[in-house]
Amino acid sequence: MKYALYPGCVMPTEQYAYEMSIREIMPKLDVDLVDLKGFSCCGEPIKSVNQMLTLSLSARNIALAEKEGLDIFAPCPICHLALCETKRVLDSDSSMKERVNKHLSDEGLTYTGSSDIVSILDILYDKVGVEKIKQMVKKPFKDLKAATHYGCHLIRPSEIGRSDDSENPQKIEEILKTLGFKPDYYPEKLDCCGGLLTANLPESALTKTGQKLQSVQDQGFDLFVDTCPWCHRQYDSKQIKAGETVAAKLEMPVFYLTQLIGLSMGISSDKLGLNLNLSPIDKIKTGGK
Amino acid sequence: MSIVDLTSMGESQVEVRKEINERLSRLQDEVSDYCYQCAKCTSGCEAHKLLELEPHKIIALLKRGLIDELVNSDLIWTCMSCFKCRERCPQKVAPIDVLFALKNMAVAAGKQIPGNYTAMLQSVLSIGLLQDVKSVATRDNKTVSRSDLGLPDVSKPADPTKFMGMLSKLAVEKV
Ligand code: SF4
Ligand code: SF4
Repeated sequence: MKYALYPGCVMPTEQYAYEMSIREIMPKLDVDLVDLKGFSCCGEPIKSVNQMLTLSLSARNIALAEKEGLDIFAPCPICHLALCETKRVLDSDSSMKERVNKHLSDEGLTYTGSSDIVSILDILYDKVGVEKIKQMVKKPFKDLKAATHYGCHLIRPSEIGRSDDSENPQKIEEILKTLGFKPDYYPEKLDCCGGLLTANLPESALTKTGQKLQSVQDQGFDLFVDTCPWCHRQYDSKQIKAGETVAAKLEMPVFYLTQLIGLSMGISSDKLGLNLNLSPIDKIKTGGK
Repeated sequence: MSIVDLTSMGESQVEVRKEINERLSRLQDEVSDYCYQCAKCTSGCEAHKLLELEPHKIIALLKRGLIDELVNSDLIWTCMSCFKCRERCPQKVAPIDVLFALKNMAVAAGKQIPGNYTAMLQSVLSIGLLQDVKSVATRDNKTVSRSDLGLPDVSKPADPTKFMGMLSKLAVEKV
């Protein structure tokens, strides 16, 4: 399996642990990642300003991978949705495709629709599969109760072909079970992290983050697992501030799913960027509490 | 080129506004035909409890054609883009898309863009990304850069002038 790695903005400019853990585990799961030059923002975070910008920026990024004849792996769920929605629009509306391509021609690019776009869960669950992940597990975790957070854009809107069920997603749970965790349901599981409000209402964004983490903590979970750099920035990087907005002392270990897969494969914590997680992750070890 | 050019460029913005208006009236027709005000969208809205956004009321106002009121309201900027309203509406109405169109209209009409959106746009215009590469804190209170961590150079537009050229044309392109 070979994909162009489309990094987006937040992962390659600050959420390094996600990128490091992806670059570590993917080759071991026989997924080759190709770095391409020239990518830009997918445009989704500025869709409120100008939707046409989003469409054209996403088309431009897809066109860059098409030029190399590669399918695209977009680890950020927000980017993944933007690229998939753009593909859907342009593949069904030829006049829009023409219009967008007129812009892209300045940079010698053309959107044709030949590349597939896959998410982190598409790769891990549907392409690699839990069986293969299971074979790679050398140091399983034990008896840890895990809360999962999918990220809104990974599962909604289902009309655009998302990576799991919109109301009852289970693929992260399935993967965590093969690593030895005990994932459990909690009523707030589908709640939004608030991250996209950071642009104009940062306090409210943090309140959403704090509220969800507080209920997870109150329900006795040992750790919280995410797959989105925007969500992770809220839950891990800004956990203390999020706690302050809801007047709670939050002490919830937060990991990228890819970091946990890496640890259970026996990859060193340095290589998985664990030193960059700012939440209290030290109590979580392979082999149990 | 600056953000000012992109969002309030005299004559050309007339064209942009016309196009967003058309998009809004298409949406207006749609919601008038299908939305029956069941308020399921509001019951699950992530911004409802915290910020008092009521997507079904946004739709009701759009039905009545009160577009100026909506465009001038701060409420439209409280949506956190969770897509629950679009996912759950029994009538396949998408309040979130109405909100995107209203916000696009607010920007095209020259209303001030709230918060950090201006800086984000400015950054996309100049380097192609929402923000430049940052140094980050570690658990032991050190600061590390991308290259310290052994990561390759970040991917961004190779020719910023050409890239900007594309974006500037877009600002006057139909939405
Ligand atoms: S859920 Fe759909 S039909 Fe019901 S009020 Fe909202 S937009 Fe209208
Ligand atoms: S997308 Fe916006 S309007 Fe719709 S449910 Fe989420 S926060 Fe509410």
